Order: sequence, then structure tokens, then C-alpha cells
Amino acid sequence: MEAGTLLRSAVPLSPTRRRFVSRPNSVRASLSPRGGYQGPRPKREWVADWVSKNDDFVRSLPIYVGGASLFAVLFNRTVSGIAPVADASSSQSRADLLTLGLAVTNILNGLVWLSIRPKSISVVNPNGVECQRIYHDLPDPVISELIWAWESLSDVTCCRSLVVIYDGICILQIGFADISNSNGSEPMVVDTDKLMKGSLYNGVLKSGSQSYLANLALYPGKSELPFLPSNTQAVILQPLGDKGIAIVGGDTIRGFTSSDQVWITLIGEKLDATLAKVVYRMPLTVQEGI
Amino acid sequence: MSSGTAVRPLSPLIPLSRPKFNFPSKFTINKPFSLAKICCSQNSTPEHQQVNLSVLRFTLGIPGLDESYLPRYIGYAFGTLLVLNHFVGLDSSSITPAQLRTEVLGLSLAAFSAVVPYLGKFLKGASPRDQKSLPEGAEQIFAMSQDIADNMKEDLAWGTYILLRNTNSISVLISVQDALCVRGYWNTPKDLSKENIPDWFREQIKKIGFSNLKDTMYFQQAADSELKEMVPEGTRSLLVQPILRAPRLSPNQTEKREGFLLLASSIDYAYTDKDKAWIAAIANKFGGFWGGLSWGPKDVKGMPEIMVKLRGSRLDGVQVV
Repeated sequence: MEAGTLLRSAVPLSPTRRRFVSRPNSVRASLSPRGGYQGPRPKREWVADWVSKNDDFVRSLPIYVGGASLFAVLFNRTVSGIAPVADASSSQSRADLLTLGLAVTNILNGLVWLSIRPKSISVVNPNGVECQRIYHDLPDPVISELIWAWESLSDVTCCRSLVVIYDGICILQIGFADISNSNGSEPMVVDTDKLMKGSLYNGVLKSGSQSYLANLALYPGKSELPFLPSNTQAVILQPLGDKGIAIVGGDTIRGFTSSDQVWITLIGEKLDATLAKVVYRMPLTVQEGI
Repeated sequence: MSSGTAVRPLSPLIPLSRPKFNFPSKFTINKPFSLAKICCSQNSTPEHQQVNLSVLRFTLGIPGLDESYLPRYIGYAFGTLLVLNHFVGLDSSSITPAQLRTEVLGLSLAAFSAVVPYLGKFLKGASPRDQKSLPEGAEQIFAMSQDIADNMKEDLAWGTYILLRNTNSISVLISVQDALCVRGYWNTPKDLSKENIPDWFREQIKKIGFSNLKDTMYFQQAADSELKEMVPEGTRSLLVQPILRAPRLSPNQTEKREGFLLLASSIDYAYTDKDKAWIAAIANKFGGFWGGLSWGPKDVKGMPEIMVKLRGSRLDGVQVV
């Protein structure tokens, strides 16, 4: 059975997609003459802002400091005419050794910081067309919740496509979609029957837990998701109870962080609860042959 | 067909028990919440955009010792030894200028080493190391206004639940139009009865004037004393997120303030940029473009108020109802 058709042309989604941009931890003081906020305001965090802005420099700073001190100690020893021998007999040597130890600690710490620098992975723009398809027979609050879920995901994470399938019906297909074969410029329609017979869907529903395909190009199961743009990089399959699935497609390899995954799980539960109410009210229209 | 290799556990802030999530309406969900198992791809390298602790790190293996603070301890120890070395041993007349130079260099290095973990906290990829600590002997409360629609209650309950679970918060307050919901540890007076809790909070809010807020406020360390009446002791960071309703019909109208969302946490710098983005998304659910639509006619009378008091002092997670 084919998915729901395009309707609701009157749904005015927010035209500008606000991508999540890292904002500094400062407060923009808004002064309004009347009725403005008069309460306590936080102090501006200089150190935190400066470190966040000069991340690379700060990471290598301990190495430079440690290295410079190392040379300074040796230089000091040679200039003062003391033999560069590492023995702890004299007071001078002890002081030198302690300083050397501190310098080495700093160098090692700088190396650790450099090694844990997060690698920035480039964004791959999905090739496809934008589409907004919602099942026609949904009450207003459900639609608002679905749209809210899409807007949150697309603003905060690297999500660029979202497909929600519940009870055999494609409830929502929004974001980027691959171009349909028959009609060159239309987004592809989700074939729910085929998807529900596939191994991705059944595997996710059987385990009942989220599945994160961090690098979609490596999975042979990718062929079961033809409606997503062909260069979708990462996909999260979130089961909605035991009746549905939410497919979240992203544009960066390993683009969904672990906190994103947890949020998506919780949003999935909420969608499941909301959609379960709808199905409870709607008469059953899906007949699935066994 | 997803090939899962290592199953990485979720962040330790999520309690390992399985709390039942009860909607306060007649559509109850009886499934317990299941931990999401994450299967990573076969060749996932250790470098992620948000650093996971599965990266190869230097560790002594001593539980409870945080290795990122090691430079600080070494700085203190060696600095003390340097000072000792200066005074003990030879008498002061035989200290050469060379030794003085070395000691000055050593002491400044020790000071720098002590500061290094503090700088490291703000680097990209650093996660807050301290676990949130729960206030001792405080009580958890969960209170909601009485006369609001059913699905609004559900939304509020769900929203407060996931904010408590998923961020480093110990208490949350949501105030939207005339609905108020508080959850977590709050500093309410001991003799306050069930029905009066929302009113007490409204008074406090009016005193501080949160309803006039237009931008997000983030107190990162040691919130001001004016707010200390409401929030529990030991609150270190506070985030206030206004809930705005975007205009539906004409984009020329300015955004109206609908309310705000307040989160308190017991650790410094508790909310990363990503956390703040998600919190803004949750605030959008209550305000935003579509927020506040109800299922049917608003039924005003006869709504029971949800109110549970727990005595919680478990340190491995917030006891969320």
C-alpha cells in the first residue's frame, strides 16, 4: 500500500533552516525600557570564551612552555659553569631535576591534549529534493508534534531527512529525499510494504532498541532505504514502540553524537505515545496479508 | 542489517534502573523504558566529534583519581619540594644566582601546571568530569498546576522527565502561560501543602522577574544569592530559557513571551552548547510555532493534581518519578 500523499499545502514551515551554530557562553543584554528583565545576570566568562576560541593554540601551549623550560634549565646550567650531570647531590641539581620534571609533565599533557583533538569531518550535502509529506488524516496536535520533532532534529543535529512509519502507514516524510524513478523531479514515495518486509526494519523492531548506522556507505542494508538521498552519510533507526520506526538521515559520517542518540530515543518514545493515541482513535485501514 | 561490534554503554549519568514513565492521563504507557543499545560501525576510529572516553588515554587505573588533574597535583608537589629545597640543606649564603633562576622557573612552571587542568575544561571535546551530586536530605517534588488540559500535563511531565534525565540537572521548572510544573530538588519550605506549591513558586518567580526574560541566561558558576531562596543548596549552574511563541499569521509581529524554562545543576559549567540547543528545542515544544494545541475542549474542573514526594539520597542518579 502506498504511503500517504502530499497534502497540507497550508502548512507553513519555518522557511529558514537554522543550523545549530556554536554560540559563546555570553549573555546578550537586552535593554527594553519597560517590562525588561531586572533580575540578576550572569558574569561574562572570559577564560572560557578565550579558550574556546583559540582551541588549537591552547592545545599546544603546554608543549611550548615545557619545551622552553627544558632548554632554559639546560642553558642555565651550562652558562653558570656547572657540569651538566644529573646527580642529586647539590642543591642546584635537585632544583634542576624538579624543574625538569615539571617541564616533562607539561609536555606530556600537551601531547595528550593534541591526541584527543576531535577530528572535524566535512558535511556532505545530500543530493535529492526537498519534500514535506504528512499523512492526511491526523489531528492537529499530532501534526504539530511531528513538525516540532523535525525542526528540533534538523536544527540541533546533522539530520537532513526524516521518515516516520507507524502501523504500516508512512506518517511523515520530510527533508531531503531521493528523486523518484518514474517522475524525474518528484521525491520518491516510501514503499512501506517493502520496507517492512526488509531486514533493517524487522531487526530493529525485534531488538526494540535504536540502531545507529554511522557510515551508511558500508552497509549492504542501505538498499532497503532507497527513499533517502543516495549520499546520506549516517542513519539512525529508532523504533517507535513495536509498531513503527523513525528513520533519521544525517549528512556527516558519525555525525550523531551519543547525546543526540539518547535524545532521539526519548523523542521516539514520545512520538510513539502520541501516534498510539491516533491509531486508537482511527479505524484500522491497513490490511496486511500474511 | 546492522553489524554491531562493541556495544558502548551510555553516559554514566543515566540511571541504570528502569523507571516507569507514567503519563498522567488515561492513555497509560505500560512499557518500561529500555536502554538504547548503540551498535557502532566496524571501522569506527576513536576520534568522534564529541570525544568518547573509549579513546586511548593515559590512566593509572586508580578508581576515583581523575588523571586530568594530575598536572595540578604534580605542580603542587614539585613546587613544595622546590621551596623545601631552597630552605633546607645549605644555608642561605651559598645559594647561587643560577639556583635562584632555576627555582623561579620551577615555581612558575608549577603554577602553570596547576592552571592547566582548568584550561583543559574548556577545550572542545572535554566532558564534565564531576558527577552531579544530589543535595543531602533534600526532597524531590513533582508538582503541576491543576487547571490545564490533559495533553499539556502529559507534555509537561514528559518534558521535565527528559530534561532531568538527559542533562546534568537536579531540578527543573517550566512555566508556560498559566501552567507551571516543577520537578526535582527544590528549596520549598517544609510546611507547604500540596496545593500551594505552584502558588509559592509563582510568587518567587514574580519577585525575581523571570517572566520578562527575552534571552537565554546561563549562570555557569555559583548562582547569585537572589536565586538561592528557590533553588536547592549546592546549585552551581543555572540556565534559564525563555519560551517564546512565534507569530502565526504575520511575521511582522514580534515574538511574544510565553514563559520560561529553568534548569539547575550541582556542577559548574554543566551545559554544553549541544545541551543548550536541545533545551531550546524542548522549549520550542511549549512555545514555538505550533505549541500549545490541545486535543479537545479544555476540561477545567476535576483535574487531579499530580504530586509525589520522595526522599531520595541515592548518588547514582536522580530518582525520577
